[in-house]
Amino acid sequence: MDSQTHKAHRPSQSGAKAEKKKSAKGKGKEKQHGFNEKAFAPRSGRKADRQGRRTAERDQTRLHVPLVDRTPDDQPPPTVVAVVGPPGVGKTTLMKSLIRRYTKQTLNHIHGPVTVVSGKKKRITFIECNNDLNSMIDIAKVADLVLLMIDGSYGFEMETFEFLNILQAHGFPKVIGVLTHLDLVKKAATLRATKKALKKRFWTEIYQGAKLFYLSGVLNGRYPDTEILNLSRFISVMKFRPLVFRNQHPYMLADRFEDLTPREDVRASKGKCDRTVTLYGYLRGTNYRLGTKVHVPGVGDLDVKSVQILGDPCPLPDAESEKRRKLSEKKKLLIHAPMSDVGGVIYDKDAVYINVPGNFTKGGVENPGEGEQMVLDLQDVNATLEDAVAKSQIRLFGSSSRPLAVQAEAGPSTLRSSSATSDESGSEEDYSEDEEEGDFSGEDEGLGSEEEYEDHGSGAEEDEEGLGDRGRSAPRTVRRSMQGLPSSGGGKRGQVDYAESDSDLGGEDDDDPGPSRRFVRFEGDDAYDVPSDEDAEEEASDEEDVPRWKANLSEKAQAAFQNTARASKRRDWTKLIYNSTASPESILGLDGGGESSSNAAGMDDDDFFTLKSSAPAKIEEELDRTKEPVNVEELAEWEDEELLDSIRHLFITGSSSAQPAEGVDSNGEPYEEMADEDGSHVGDEDEDGDDGEGDGGSKPSPNKDATALAAKKAELKRKFDEQYDEPDAAKADFYTEAKEAMARQQQLNRAEFEGVDPEARALLEGYRPGTYVRLELTSVPSEMVENFDPTYPLVVGGLLPAEERFGYVQVRIKRHRWFPKTLKTNDPLIFSLGWRRFQTVPIYSLDDHSIRMRMLKYTPEHMHCYATFYGPAALPNTGFCAFNALSRDTPGFRVSATGVVLDIDRSTRIVKKLKLTGVPFKIFKNTAFIKDMFSSALEVAKFEGANIRTVSGIRGQVKKALPKPDGAFRAAFEDKILMSDIVFLRAWYSIQPRKFYNPVTSLLLSDKEHWEGMRLTGQVRREQGLKTPTNVNSTYKPVERPARRFNPLRVPKKLQASLPYASKPKLMRAQHRATYMQKRAVVMEPEEKKAMALLQQVRALRKDQVARRREKQEERKAAHRKKVEKEEAKKGEKEKERRKEYMRAAGLKSKREGDALDGSRSGKRRKT
Amino acid sequence: MTQAPTVLHFSGHQYLRHRLVLGILSGKPVRIDKIRSDDKNPGLRDYEISLLRLLERMTNGTVIEISVTGTAVLLKPGVIAGGNVVHDCPLTRSVGYFLEPIVMLAPFAKKPLQLTLRGITTDENDLSVDIIRTVTLPHLQLFGVSEGLELRIKKRGSPPLGGGEVQFLCPIVKQVKTLNFVDPGKIKRIRGISHAVRVNPQFSNRMIEASRSVLNRYIPDIYLYSDVYKGEESGKSPGYALSLLAESTTGAMHCSEAMSKPGVPPEDIAMVASRALLAEIRRGGCVDRQHQVLVLLMMILGSEDVGRCRMGEPTVRTIQFLRDVKEAFGTAFKIVPADPADANSTDLLYSCYGVGYVNANRSLA
Repeated sequence: MDSQTHKAHRPSQSGAKAEKKKSAKGKGKEKQHGFNEKAFAPRSGRKADRQGRRTAERDQTRLHVPLVDRTPDDQPPPTVVAVVGPPGVGKTTLMKSLIRRYTKQTLNHIHGPVTVVSGKKKRITFIECNNDLNSMIDIAKVADLVLLMIDGSYGFEMETFEFLNILQAHGFPKVIGVLTHLDLVKKAATLRATKKALKKRFWTEIYQGAKLFYLSGVLNGRYPDTEILNLSRFISVMKFRPLVFRNQHPYMLADRFEDLTPREDVRASKGKCDRTVTLYGYLRGTNYRLGTKVHVPGVGDLDVKSVQILGDPCPLPDAESEKRRKLSEKKKLLIHAPMSDVGGVIYDKDAVYINVPGNFTKGGVENPGEGEQMVLDLQDVNATLEDAVAKSQIRLFGSSSRPLAVQAEAGPSTLRSSSATSDESGSEEDYSEDEEEGDFSGEDEGLGSEEEYEDHGSGAEEDEEGLGDRGRSAPRTVRRSMQGLPSSGGGKRGQVDYAESDSDLGGEDDDDPGPSRRFVRFEGDDAYDVPSDEDAEEEASDEEDVPRWKANLSEKAQAAFQNTARASKRRDWTKLIYNSTASPESILGLDGGGESSSNAAGMDDDDFFTLKSSAPAKIEEELDRTKEPVNVEELAEWEDEELLDSIRHLFITGSSSAQPAEGVDSNGEPYEEMADEDGSHVGDEDEDGDDGEGDGGSKPSPNKDATALAAKKAELKRKFDEQYDEPDAAKADFYTEAKEAMARQQQLNRAEFEGVDPEARALLEGYRPGTYVRLELTSVPSEMVENFDPTYPLVVGGLLPAEERFGYVQVRIKRHRWFPKTLKTNDPLIFSLGWRRFQTVPIYSLDDHSIRMRMLKYTPEHMHCYATFYGPAALPNTGFCAFNALSRDTPGFRVSATGVVLDIDRSTRIVKKLKLTGVPFKIFKNTAFIKDMFSSALEVAKFEGANIRTVSGIRGQVKKALPKPDGAFRAAFEDKILMSDIVFLRAWYSIQPRKFYNPVTSLLLSDKEHWEGMRLTGQVRREQGLKTPTNVNSTYKPVERPARRFNPLRVPKKLQASLPYASKPKLMRAQHRATYMQKRAVVMEPEEKKAMALLQQVRALRKDQVARRREKQEERKAAHRKKVEKEEAKKGEKEKERRKEYMRAAGLKSKREGDALDGSRSGKRRKT
Repeated sequence: MTQAPTVLHFSGHQYLRHRLVLGILSGKPVRIDKIRSDDKNPGLRDYEISLLRLLERMTNGTVIEISVTGTAVLLKPGVIAGGNVVHDCPLTRSVGYFLEPIVMLAPFAKKPLQLTLRGITTDENDLSVDIIRTVTLPHLQLFGVSEGLELRIKKRGSPPLGGGEVQFLCPIVKQVKTLNFVDPGKIKRIRGISHAVRVNPQFSNRMIEASRSVLNRYIPDIYLYSDVYKGEESGKSPGYALSLLAESTTGAMHCSEAMSKPGVPPEDIAMVASRALLAEIRRGGCVDRQHQVLVLLMMILGSEDVGRCRMGEPTVRTIQFLRDVKEAFGTAFKIVPADPADANSTDLLYSCYGVGYVNANRSLA
């Protein structure tokens, strides 16, 4: 131990000491770090020029269209990081590793989104995407960053490419590639080559230089910590450019899901009733406004009943929370994953959920202990406290015969207990019986709490009522049933106030979609007055649902209030307009005041009846007019000189004491800039009167005037300085200008509603992104609840008003070049457009010389075409992708087409060609009678003047219908046509796409991957074993072409005679008598004979010679052929050997692969 | 799974126009009932039917159902088509009645609108074509609807027989701009149009004289044009009117008008118009009372940013409009006094968060 190594001295790099040392070293001597300007100075002017141009070009490529980022800066929603990849690639392992990196906790089973805090200002929601195409589509629409996982030992798989194409169609969020299983590649050289090849492919797919991560192996079920640390750093510095679609729509990635349907309804309908569910999550995108519909991909369009802002379950750390954090908690960071197994308690609005640790399942415990039983009972309570109160029966007095019922009007859980009708009271008894049964049999019906309330019933009515009041979410109206009122006895009490409404357009009045309203009323024929609360008046709901007499009451009260208060108080216009039911006239105090005040004074019952008769007492009908009637008496006041002078300050020539002569010099300046600069103008007559600079009409004090002047001067000075220093700065380029305008608007957006309380703010601007909300959705299909699977992402997408409507959508579409088949018109296609996934029937078309939109039977190759289909509208410029089938067993590439929306309309103008044919039945010179083209004279009349043509190309025109054969007509041609000619008419027939829209309801299925929509006819036939019906005219028959027989041309004798010789037919009969020469015999001389014989011999010799020569040649050829054959055989042998070798290798390879699949991996892999 | 879209439900015959406009813009069906159900002459009037016809012609796929008694109407909106439309207005209302809703719809059509309206051009109840041309259209320009926006007065037509003709040309926009208009400025100029048809042209000059006698005391920049139409262009009935407009340094406009009545000398008509203008100026704000609804609607439809505008107290129509727009678009306005420190000022500051309405009808093909 003598050679102990001492720690080396490390000079401090920062702090006071370091500073001192640095300064002591001297300024000139210090080493230059980083960029040395001189080193890169260009030597020649040309080079400098080129360099300058290059820099300018690079600057231009950097620019993008400025987009507004609508995510709030203070509390942004967590970034959605999706982990996507084929099965077995290590997605869950990566999730676990990353979550452990951020929270120091290990989750065993990850389901659904997991939200963690990743920094001071940043949160991340991780979500794993399973291998279903539907999930991939939904994830692609909400993910801000995609960790695309690729098996390095295997390569790219089809799903990866499919996912990338889906991403591209929906705006392309940021993508980081993650290569895993690199430890399976043993050889270093192979590893390098693999990495390089995969990177190259990845870069061509995304962009040159896209980030690709390498994760080597798995340690303790996680990836190595350093690699994960690096990855997390990359994730945290990632900047996101807002995507256009997400900048227009609010959306939410639900991380929690509860069913709120009353258990009784579920039981009564055997689980088939529509459910009310709540979804929880962070709002993203734009502000969500209540009243707009949402679309849940895989479920459908749903109505949002209520939105509630909840406390942030995973808040960003602030100074206070950091202070409060205990040392023991230092390491435990926040994690929010309600669908996973993070232990703890969850507080809802109306329930507490306790997660029992360990492998505890509800059905599994045989005899639970007392505590466990209690917890189980607590879990069983499905009805909310509110519902329980609604169901419980309260008696106001111990002696009351009938209980007080709180009845929800629109809710499905209405307990109908009416007084007069006997059958309803019977049903009530039924109900109570049910209740008892439920209790005794110990079913999980959630009625236990009710019983409790009943027990307490008589003792604590007041408390109970108070509870009920506190629990209600919507403003309520108090109704009293009157004795002897004929309408109060009937069962349709909800109709009373609409009795005079003319419902001849279908009873939409009945199912009035107002928020759940409760009516407190007494049972029994003898009714009592409930002394109405004072505040009940104020919180009366919107005017149309309020009973008539009631509306008037508040109106009267309002009028009376105004008469007294107008003089003194300033009115709260927002409240008057939005929160009261008073008519606009009464708000402005335009109706007769005296009458209303007298009415308000007497609260007699008679008032309710007298009103009806007094209402139509108006003498003259009010016109819906824009100009208000001119009141000449009121205008008479303008004769007064003083009054005329009093408005002088409103003109530029008016006295400048009220306002500095600002207007004069800013004569033509646009108002926007004025307003924006006004923030600093203190002396301006602006709305920022918070400074107490009331200067509109009152005289400002001199020192205030001075400060205003000073401010003005300073402003002018600043402006001058700016302009003098940088003359070009004033006219900045478009890009900076646009950015500045955006920043200003953002500033204004933040400042405007700063002080408003959250509820009013939600009314004004909707629910802002970044808030954690609870959406209550009504009439959700029960299958969604029953088949809920947390591994499938649950996205709630807000719809714009235009997107709720249906119509014909015209898109520009291109078949994907990897999709193996062409697409056919009228074949069903699954679109992923906007938030929706749906199947529809497109018609493809192409613009035909800008004259018509001509139908195409098939999509063209390598070319865009148009497609028109019926479906929900989407904003023009929205991208989409299309699929023929979504299931995994589809072979090959599944993305069949991509494109963009062009147009939305209610009609289409696609035409297809129609050829009508006919035949002539009588031909004159240039005129012919045509039949078989039309079937009636009326049809002919429609086509009068239409162009027709024969096959031989003679053009003509339809003239007029003929009386005789139906549909025959006279036509004129440019030349004489033949009887054998076929005449045709080219016309265009307009077609409409079929009105077929079938949303992909994959989340409603128990087997979510196998959603099946409309099938092709051929598919149906194949599955049902039907034969394709054949058209008789389409069968192939042997073509019989009878030989055409032409009659001989007969020229009349008379004509022949007059013809010139050249034109005369010169037909001669064949000679049938022997000629002179033929008749003569030839006798030769002896010399001649000799010569003849010699010639013959010579010919014979020659013939023999040729024959022998040919024989010889044949012999030679045969020998050559033999030789070639031999060679051929030898070659074939070799080829055979080679093939054999190859097949052997291939077989071995496939066998190995098969073994590998049988082994560790699941067998769900499709080779690229 | 596709549920029927929520129906906007209104009752009463008042405010029919802006309710129909809201329905068409938001795409929600509108149902209006109790239309003069208590009246001796119940149901829709001829001009209202005519308006529905016009809307049907302007749109594609609109379904209008009117009940047998005419006291209820259901409008299922289609897409706003635009294009070339010709419409004959009944003589019960002037063309201003029809133009007002069209001005709100036309920027969101599929194609630029060329609308020809025939009928009465000036009357007591609605904005005259002069006001629409000189005041309403500049208000639309605040929202970025400007290139090619025009109203041509081809012929003038006075009540009762009309015979006028106007042509309204409106371009389409993708999205309207966010308004931020809080400085009313000071009145810098006054313009006016005095027209006389089928009467002595001197009437028009007399009106100008009388009006100047009141207005000259404020600013020198006053031009009142005398606009006399002759022959075929002057319509079928005699009449004259004066419309005035005051413009401030920041572009805020106030307007007023008065038209001839039997037995009233033109000087009195001019007095009424000028005094009404003064009253309007005194009310303050950046937008005058007749155009509050138009400006508020366009503010709501703006991009998802805060728009602000300073106006006077809301009119009856404005209040009802604010309530209806909340039903249709789910958005409310924040209305606060423009300068709380000033006791005399009745100006209010209306601010809202736009819904980000994008013209979905616009075609890219």
